[in-house]
Amino acid sequence: MFEDDETLQMYIEESLEHLGDIESDLLTIEEAGKDIDLDLVNNVFRAAHSIKGGAGFMGLTTIKELAHHLENVLGLIRNQELIPDSNRISVLLKGFDQLESLLNHIQTSNETDISHHIQALEKITHSSVPEEKQDMVDQMVDIVLTDGRIFQQISMYEIDRSKSEGKNLFLVEYDLINDIHRKGKNPIEILRNLQKTGTIIDARIDCDYVGTLEDQGPSPVRIPLQVLFASIIEYDMAETLFDISDRYIHAVSDEMLVASDTALPGVQPSAMQARESVAPHREQATGAPESVSVGKSPAPEDIPAAAASADTEQPSKAEGRSSENELQLGQKTQSSLRVNVGLLDTLMNLAGELVLGRNQLLQGVNSANTKATELSSQRIDMITSELQEAIMRTRMQPIANILNKFSRVVRDMSHQLGKSIDLQIIGKEVELDKTILEAINDPLTHLVRNSVDHGIETPMEREQMGKDATGTITLKAFHDAGQVNLIISDDGRGLVPEKIAKAAIAKGLVTDQQVAEMSEKAKMELIFLPGFSTAKEVTDVSGRGVGMDVVVTNIQSLGGIIELDSTPGQGTDIQIKLPLTLAIIPSQITSVGKERYALPQVNLKELLRIPAAQVKDKIEKVGDAAVVRLRGELLPLLNLSQMLGIEKTFVDPETSEEQKDRRKNLADRRSKKHLTAEDPAGSAPVEEHEERSGKDRRYRASSAMNIAVVSAGAFKYGLVVDQLHDSEEIVVKPVGRHLKKCTAYAGATIMGDGKVALILDISNLAQMAELATVSEVGQMALTTEDDTGKNKDRAALLTFKNTDTGHFAAPLNLVERIERIKTADIEQIGGRKVVQYRGGALPLYELSQVADVDSLPEKELQEVIVFKVKNRELGLMVTPPVDTMEVVLNVDETTLKQPAISGSMIINGHTTLLVDIFEMVKMLNPDWFAREALAAAEMAKNGEKILLFAEDSAFFRNQVKKYLEEDGFKIIEAEDGLLAWELLKERGDDIDLVVTDLEMPNMDGFELTRRIKNDPRFSHLKVIALTSLASDAHIEKGKSVGIDDYEIKLDREKLMTVIRQHLNLSR
Amino acid sequence: MAHETTTDTTAETLEFSTFYVGGALCGINILHIQEINKNVDITQVPQAADYVKGILNLRGRIVTIIDLGAKLGLEPVTETKDNRNIIVNSEDEHIGLLVDAISDVVSASRDAIEPSPSNIGAIRGKFFTGVLKTEKHLIGILDIDEVLKE
Repeated sequence: MFEDDETLQMYIEESLEHLGDIESDLLTIEEAGKDIDLDLVNNVFRAAHSIKGGAGFMGLTTIKELAHHLENVLGLIRNQELIPDSNRISVLLKGFDQLESLLNHIQTSNETDISHHIQALEKITHSSVPEEKQDMVDQMVDIVLTDGRIFQQISMYEIDRSKSEGKNLFLVEYDLINDIHRKGKNPIEILRNLQKTGTIIDARIDCDYVGTLEDQGPSPVRIPLQVLFASIIEYDMAETLFDISDRYIHAVSDEMLVASDTALPGVQPSAMQARESVAPHREQATGAPESVSVGKSPAPEDIPAAAASADTEQPSKAEGRSSENELQLGQKTQSSLRVNVGLLDTLMNLAGELVLGRNQLLQGVNSANTKATELSSQRIDMITSELQEAIMRTRMQPIANILNKFSRVVRDMSHQLGKSIDLQIIGKEVELDKTILEAINDPLTHLVRNSVDHGIETPMEREQMGKDATGTITLKAFHDAGQVNLIISDDGRGLVPEKIAKAAIAKGLVTDQQVAEMSEKAKMELIFLPGFSTAKEVTDVSGRGVGMDVVVTNIQSLGGIIELDSTPGQGTDIQIKLPLTLAIIPSQITSVGKERYALPQVNLKELLRIPAAQVKDKIEKVGDAAVVRLRGELLPLLNLSQMLGIEKTFVDPETSEEQKDRRKNLADRRSKKHLTAEDPAGSAPVEEHEERSGKDRRYRASSAMNIAVVSAGAFKYGLVVDQLHDSEEIVVKPVGRHLKKCTAYAGATIMGDGKVALILDISNLAQMAELATVSEVGQMALTTEDDTGKNKDRAALLTFKNTDTGHFAAPLNLVERIERIKTADIEQIGGRKVVQYRGGALPLYELSQVADVDSLPEKELQEVIVFKVKNRELGLMVTPPVDTMEVVLNVDETTLKQPAISGSMIINGHTTLLVDIFEMVKMLNPDWFAREALAAAEMAKNGEKILLFAEDSAFFRNQVKKYLEEDGFKIIEAEDGLLAWELLKERGDDIDLVVTDLEMPNMDGFELTRRIKNDPRFSHLKVIALTSLASDAHIEKGKSVGIDDYEIKLDREKLMTVIRQHLNLSR
Repeated sequence: MAHETTTDTTAETLEFSTFYVGGALCGINILHIQEINKNVDITQVPQAADYVKGILNLRGRIVTIIDLGAKLGLEPVTETKDNRNIIVNSEDEHIGLLVDAISDVVSASRDAIEPSPSNIGAIRGKFFTGVLKTEKHLIGILDIDEVLKE
């Protein structure tokens, strides 16, 4: 085998490049069927041909053999003797795949068994070749030169074909030493040039006739490279073309062709040929060792080794060796990258500019010329940016490189599965960093395979569903907001949330309760969980035991985001967002304590600064977790310094006790910030101006809370940091192996002052904080807002315990605050417990006073939930943990019903009693409700007001009905909008006001309102909507259909007020 | 004879950079050492192992600084003006070892190195490739790869 690394490498690269486009070309050829696009076929043919030509020269017999057979088939297609149907194309595709793999494992290529490919290809050639030519395909001839030398084993068929095309045959003998090496040429180039004027049928090094030292004559040593060449060029022109003495150009005439005695028997050609070509070489190598050492003949040197390895090594061993080789060669092939010359010129230019800039800068510095220094630094700044961009561009590659291969994947798989699928690729020209491109290959393949296997239905199923029998998968790539977006969408069966949820429960990944609380989208996203795979059985097509979780992890490790959207029966969209590059990322610089931390801009949603005066109001504490209410959404807060356990290394000027107190009130930032501003070590030169401003209004500035609102995958949270600095482009550097276990960091970077800053891994931080549940709640709040059509009632509840075992919950919207007080501060006045609180007395109660539950244990500190009822505050003493939760209300109103407890439901696996705060207050302070009783009595006297109340949840219906009836209203109930509408038509005249739920089956509240407002009989009626969560979009939609007012369910007091207002009743 | 000795030493003489850590005198083959510096600009890495002092910027490379005292199971290195970072090359990565103080470079023939006992002072024997006895001191020769195992 040829050992000249450079030439071999060049050959491999060139061949792989030829192969690069073949796949898509072949697929296009297949599509065209009979109407052959000759250019395209020629393209593929030429590729196979060049590979064959080079392989012969390099001694890569197996590659040559395979390329030769591929070429034969392509030749037939080109001559329109063969119609490229899909079976034949499949064989060709597989052949080219094998060829590529041989090229990638060049060192072991000669030992690889390719017989089944050869067989398949021969079957095609045979079937199509006309009878009289059948023999020729297998028939081998030798060319006997005038001097008696023999050029062995040429396919008669090819010679015949060349002749039939009116070409002349030449056997040209180049001398590797005199004609090529000494003239400074390159054998590959010679072959390439030849191809421009004709066809190379075969090329070999004739080792038998390598001259020996004893040879006399002008060129004592020569290594003939024999090229059998077919061209339309006439014999007399040949000398000029080949640029060698005509002594070595042999015109091949028919007389020179002698039938070879070994016609290839079909199955073993590769092995046979390999041995045949090796054997004489070995003889030569041992027979004339001198020639080897003198002539620059790499070929013979390698033969013994190759032959020996072929003889001795078992296939398994050979494989091991090949992987080794792959490693070496793999690195080699990967290490080179084609770069546009124009781009290189730009780089060179910029490098020149940079040198000039440096000179200017040095000059400016030396002469202490500030102006010049400034100018040159500006210039260097500009050049650096340009340089960075240009260098980035060298790494950018079109995404087509990986998207194109999916046509093949989809084609092969759809054949295998008996599906008909059309693949559309949009945005091939979008460019991505090479590393990212390589890294998303596997996840993308997985997703496309999933779409083909699970997504698209069989043609029959599709037709039954009224869809086109051919499914469509679209791969779309586009730039958006400095990121690359990839969308894989199919119009298949889509994901059925319930099915996924069931499977997830069956696999023990989630519990029934968790699922009950999930939105449709959250259920679909269960497929991202590790250990989940929807395929009923693991097929060889898409399932290999690895699931979507691997895809998600891979994409997240690239700093990407993956989102899923699916409509059952309609299809699935999977959207992936990727950064353009990994090396340089825009980041927000923050600091905690003395250190700075970089926060990737991709994860950053917004920056929040809560002024000192508002910290108390805006930050709420739910259980152990702090949350901030941001535009109606609860956002969990993570304190970075607590998360990372950053120690304070400076002295605390205030008493530590005070600090502790503050921390409890969540104003602990004050002391910490205060210290940072005072600590000189903490303020590096770059932060100087901040330091100054901090001094001016230290108290205010230092008490404010800085929050970076971040999101990563399913997580969204606020990261509390000490300071927010600039946004900078940072260069990501890997950290050492001792820090690999610190998952909180994605790497490190070097800041302008030379110090190192760590880059935070937002998603891992969330996982470290076990944020999942909180964020799920947050997400749920978001998704419910979107899910207008859904008919499940959700409510935000505050869960707590009475004693250690009893679980309770109360509507969150009635809760004002949660406080922790010292038991010693509780006073007993007039048989009641109160605590001094914000300048007043807060009455304290416990559940055992109203309901039949255990009384609270004695403790030093007591958690108190402060409720606000009738504009008065009261405290309910409870036992932690206190948590918020958004749940689907599925209340059992009978089993555990008792005074002040409206019912029970299961939350997180615990039977939880729902506390009816109003009933509790009423029992404890009947006088607070005296007015209502009065109003009710009055109404009974003046004539009843009748309300139509539409609500699908029995729990809410009973609850609200109870309130209303207590206040003297008469209620007509309806279980959904449609029933309400029927009732209204029946008894329209009696009804004074409509109260409706929004999310109901059959007809929702919006539709009901629209009908009422559009019907002249009822348009005068006021409609009050009850909802679990009122989003702006909701309210907007409601207004457009004519809803008069929105009230939150379970907020009895406000509801009553509004109803009275609308009925013009006095309170 | 003289000729013979010279060839011997070129083949067998090893040089060790010695330093103090937790009161013990240790040495590292000088060929393993990239450089020795005094860089105080260390960025702390919260949540890292106890023995990780932090990371620093070594001409554009991020280098992990290991507190050799803590890593060897001794007291952590106390901050003094004599502290130095010995930057070694281990498994294709530059790693800094923070030591109490740097001492001399000692050369010795390979034969002079004796197998290490089960422990040297409070340091476990597995961290050493051997000990070198000089007139005044006993130098423990550290096995860098063993020491730097996570």
